Amino acid sequence: MPTEKEFQIAPIVPESVMHNTKALSNLQNLTASIFGAAAGILGLESYSGFLFYFVFTIFTTALFYAIRVAPTSLKAGHTVLDTSRYFRSSYEFWSGGLLGGLAGYILTWTLFYGLVRA
Amino acid sequence: MTWLSKGTTAFGLVLLTHACYSAHEHSALQSHRAASLSSLASAQSSAVSSLPIDITIETIVATLIVCLGLVSGTSQLRPIQWRVWAGKIEREGEAGFRNSSGEVDKDYVGNPFRLLESRPGFIDIRKQRREFATWVKGRPTGT
Repeated sequence: MPTEKEFQIAPIVPESVMHNTKALSNLQNLTASIFGAAAGILGLESYSGFLFYFVFTIFTTALFYAIRVAPTSLKAGHTVLDTSRYFRSSYEFWSGGLLGGLAGYILTWTLFYGLVRA
Repeated sequence: MTWLSKGTTAFGLVLLTHACYSAHEHSALQSHRAASLSSLASAQSSAVSSLPIDITIETIVATLIVCLGLVSGTSQLRPIQWRVWAGKIEREGEAGFRNSSGEVDKDYVGNPFRLLESRPGFIDIRKQRREFATWVKGRPTGT
């Protein structure tokens, strides 16, 4: 955990933090709905549905890392899978969307499950 | 760039819709067949067969394509550390803060050190005097 002194020495830009977090959470909310539709079409039930969600959300985050974060971050000298150039903690980046999109996922999952198996 | 990501997303959504319709038709056909079979009083209740493999593959591929389209449509990230962020503005200017359709972002604030650039205390007055002197001397005489 960075201390007050470190924030004084290396200040961070709150607008940029908000912009990046908003971009990531928007993406995760949108894709969670799409995953719900796919899970409903596939007819997944109980644990396999949640497993599907976790696998695809982590895949999306990895894709986001590969397309948006990695090209500039690696060039700036960060190591692989280090997101400190754009996000305050890597925990927030890698697992922040898991719970955020779960409600939308379950909504569209049940909807499409009911639609397809009418 | 923007039409590429939007086109990918739209293509994936079309595939997903098609998969959804196929799955719906399949389940309707299954229930119809089961009903007709049970009216014939056949002992074997046809087990609820799972989805055909082609619909499964189509759904997963469509999901991956939509995912790719949405990710490539996100806006550029900004560095959160002040020195990295200010250095990027200094080096690239507005070009580093365009969104996917090529316009400058609305909340682009410009150089955070603008005020320092125009402080009168930092004017090099001797240099300006020298320039003025050369300009005066360089004038053609007799005017």
